[in-house]
Amino acid sequence: MLTQVLLQLTVVVTLMVLVSIAVFVGRYRLRDTRLEWRARVRAAAPVTALLAAVLLFNSVARQYGPDVSWMIHWNLTWPIYDVEGEFILWLQSFEAPAITAYFSFIYIYGYVFLLVFPVIAYFALSNTRPLRELLTAYTLNYVLGLGIYVFIVAYGPRNMMPELVDALLYDTYPQYQHLTRQVNRNTNVFPSLHTSLAATVTFLAFRTRAIYPKWFLLATGLGVSVAISTMYLGIHWAIDVAAGIVLAYICVALAGFLVGRWSVTAWVASLRDSNPSPSTSTGTDTNPDTDPNPGSSSGSEPKADAGTPDTTPSESEPETGSDPEPERA
Amino acid sequence: MSDPAPSASPEHHAHASDDAARSGLSRRSMLAATAGLTVSMSGCIREVRSIVNRDEVEQLSLTISTVPADGDRESIQLARAVGSALESVGVDIAIDMLSHEEFRRAILVNHDFDLYVGPHPGDTTPDFLYELLHSRFAEEAGWQNPFGLTNLAIDDRLDAQRVAAGGTGNGGGEEDGTDTTNENENENNDREDAITATLESVAREQPFIPICRPTEIRLARSDRYEGWGDGHPATRFGYLGLEPQSESAAAELRTVNTDARPSQNLNPLSAEYRERNIVVGLLYDSLAVVRWRGDESTVAGGEQADADTDTDTDSDLDPDSATDITPWLAADWEWTDEETLHVTLREDCEFHDGTSLTAEDVAFTYEFLADTTRGSRRFSAPTPHYRGQVAAIDDVTEVSETELEFTVATSQPVAERALAVPILPKHIWDERTDQASLRGVTVAEGTTEALVTDNVPAIGSGPYQFGNRTDREHLTLARFDEHFTRRSGVDLPKPTSERLRIQIDPRSTSAIELVESDSADVTLSTLESYVVDDVFEDDGEVPETTILESPSWSFYHVGFNARKAPFSNPRFRRVVAQLLDKEHLVEEVFHGYAEPIATPVVEQWVPDSLAWNGNDPETPFLGTDGDLDVAAAREAFEEAGLRYDDDGNLRVRH
Repeated sequence: MLTQVLLQLTVVVTLMVLVSIAVFVGRYRLRDTRLEWRARVRAAAPVTALLAAVLLFNSVARQYGPDVSWMIHWNLTWPIYDVEGEFILWLQSFEAPAITAYFSFIYIYGYVFLLVFPVIAYFALSNTRPLRELLTAYTLNYVLGLGIYVFIVAYGPRNMMPELVDALLYDTYPQYQHLTRQVNRNTNVFPSLHTSLAATVTFLAFRTRAIYPKWFLLATGLGVSVAISTMYLGIHWAIDVAAGIVLAYICVALAGFLVGRWSVTAWVASLRDSNPSPSTSTGTDTNPDTDPNPGSSSGSEPKADAGTPDTTPSESEPETGSDPEPERA
Repeated sequence: MSDPAPSASPEHHAHASDDAARSGLSRRSMLAATAGLTVSMSGCIREVRSIVNRDEVEQLSLTISTVPADGDRESIQLARAVGSALESVGVDIAIDMLSHEEFRRAILVNHDFDLYVGPHPGDTTPDFLYELLHSRFAEEAGWQNPFGLTNLAIDDRLDAQRVAAGGTGNGGGEEDGTDTTNENENENNDREDAITATLESVAREQPFIPICRPTEIRLARSDRYEGWGDGHPATRFGYLGLEPQSESAAAELRTVNTDARPSQNLNPLSAEYRERNIVVGLLYDSLAVVRWRGDESTVAGGEQADADTDTDTDSDLDPDSATDITPWLAADWEWTDEETLHVTLREDCEFHDGTSLTAEDVAFTYEFLADTTRGSRRFSAPTPHYRGQVAAIDDVTEVSETELEFTVATSQPVAERALAVPILPKHIWDERTDQASLRGVTVAEGTTEALVTDNVPAIGSGPYQFGNRTDREHLTLARFDEHFTRRSGVDLPKPTSERLRIQIDPRSTSAIELVESDSADVTLSTLESYVVDDVFEDDGEVPETTILESPSWSFYHVGFNARKAPFSNPRFRRVVAQLLDKEHLVEEVFHGYAEPIATPVVEQWVPDSLAWNGNDPETPFLGTDGDLDVAAAREAFEEAGLRYDDDGNLRVRH
């Protein structure tokens, strides 16, 4: 059952991504990508490794997080319900089979597509900064969201008002329960990570609207749809969604601030030279703080570095302070 | 005076009491100051003092604890119904949603609640009321008087019920109940009268509000097995003695459960994780087993009274039929005198680890359940389960390897019920008498390792043994080939499939889909009532499935914490009971797949005075068709001695 759902998800999202590449990315960017991909991979490798580590940690934390949450026991369900009352019910009063089908599709397929496609779209840019910002923002979303989940216990509308809020997704398409319960615990609804990740993509799409104007429109549409779908399907409260948007904003802002601040490649290179200049030595000090898993990122780095050591400094130079806009012309 | 804030809305409660404290203090100090300046006569000072030192009577603010809709859709709906009824009569409420484990820990172990809504596992005879309501159990964990009810009149009734002579006999049908055609009627009278007296007192006191008894609906695949429904599917007999119709069915019986707890913990003594005990029944044996009369079609053990001829429902398992107690691990038993029960075990039984099961293990089990510290500490730690049963046994002596003598202090039917506790291997549980320890944490007194262990792998002697498990995914059991039911000459339901897999799937809809798509054979947990109509509709379309409809002895109820005001006031509890239209709730919440009840026992024991008559005979609903007559309800509270303020808030000292 699960493998079938996963296969279906993979096929549908792959198709959507392929179509989107044709529509948004275009031949010329793909051609450049074929020539430059090594350098771009190298530039994005540290943050990718960091994201991978966080995702791995996430799967462990989801397993044990609820036990810790129940020991801390800040249960927000009733306060949330008390404050926002029946907003979800109002939203669900628009229920119609077509709308349910649309939002169910968005919640599963649209969401995954929304997260996957920008990775490819930004990878197709010579300037790797948008890509690194995106991956950094994803990482921050998970780190901060998970941190909040540990402290706060909250159940979603479908658990509070089962008879009024039809848990539309799981009753209309029970197979998805198998998928989502692999990644979600029912006490983790505040904030909505679905919303925050979708909003993150939308915010970044806004930053790169000059490069991908049409994608910005689609991302906005999808982002709003994902946010509404979580409420319409009875999974999140409006407050969770609002908190998700705030979280996304914080993550995007932080990502903009953090990306390009430290360069692992430069740091490795400076270690090699064993003659650190003053500017890179600050990087040496701060790097362990930002990277909870220095072993994995610095471990993967030298390998990529070993191939073409000469390109490393030049690769790390233009990223600081460069805007995505001037890059395209 | 204010309650320790229940967990749901700490802010809420804290605010209320903060405000009160602040206003109280400022008012007091101000008055005292002005009084000191302006009033010189001592008489006036005294009057001021008596004004100032009176505590405010505040609006009643309470928290209703319950579980989220995942896995138990009904409780939260009932809780919200209770909440809105209380709000309409001027009570401030909050609902605290707790996970299944936390809910049971709060209610059954810590007794930290105001009101709760949830199911009680119930029992086939009314004897469970003894441990549920007797004041001597008010300090204990588990379904041992979680309400903290301490009422000497009820204690007396329960004590009388426990010794009232009923039918005698060995595994016979002595509990044929209220059926007037029954020949045992005279013998039963004392016991029946005593039970009626208890039930009437309990209904009067309303330590909890019994709401309804749900119908258990399960979905099974009839193409894979025959024999569904021969045994009650809430017991081990629903899964033993099935006839596989194919090789793959003989290899694995695939069940699906909405509750993840069996995949997490296999401790038969856990207050938080054990409920319906199906898994315990498969892993552990007891001396005797309780069977519904419906079980007998495949079982030819023990003498049976004739089945009632007036069964009129379409179900095989009629709630009117009696249950009886049949020898299981015990080959036989015999009453040598009024208080001595001589039990003979089956020969050569083994635990799953190969250790032989002897009378020593049996004697150990009864001693251990009464105090899991085994006397190593002054502060005893009785098990949260099986307390009432074990308390019926005064003493157990081993006569030989396979023979024991039980000295009992109760009537014989009550004592025989004590034979249904799981037998634990001494060599494993004897190691678990120590206080559980956690570095840097003070562990609550009475928390022995036995009560908190996961007990994985579980070593019992039952028909299935532990195979493997994955948290929140599955528990797989393997057939125990040495089990006595597999011997030739033993005519009892036996394990047929080589493996029994319990797949965890948190929603009824996806569980149904697993059965309909031939990925599972039966839903172990009952289907939530909102999908039942759909299941009946689908039944025609998927001919390979069959619907198992069985009566239930579990019931939904609202429990009060009688340790706190105003829930300690029976008049208050009775008015709250009258705020609920049980019949309406059954329709709305259970879609009709339940029966409203006024008393928490199975139908055959319900006295005429407490039979449902379209309304609750003891605490009739104050209103009609689900609409509460708010004015009448407020009046009822005022008659009960509670008071309203000008804003319509119910004000109570609490």
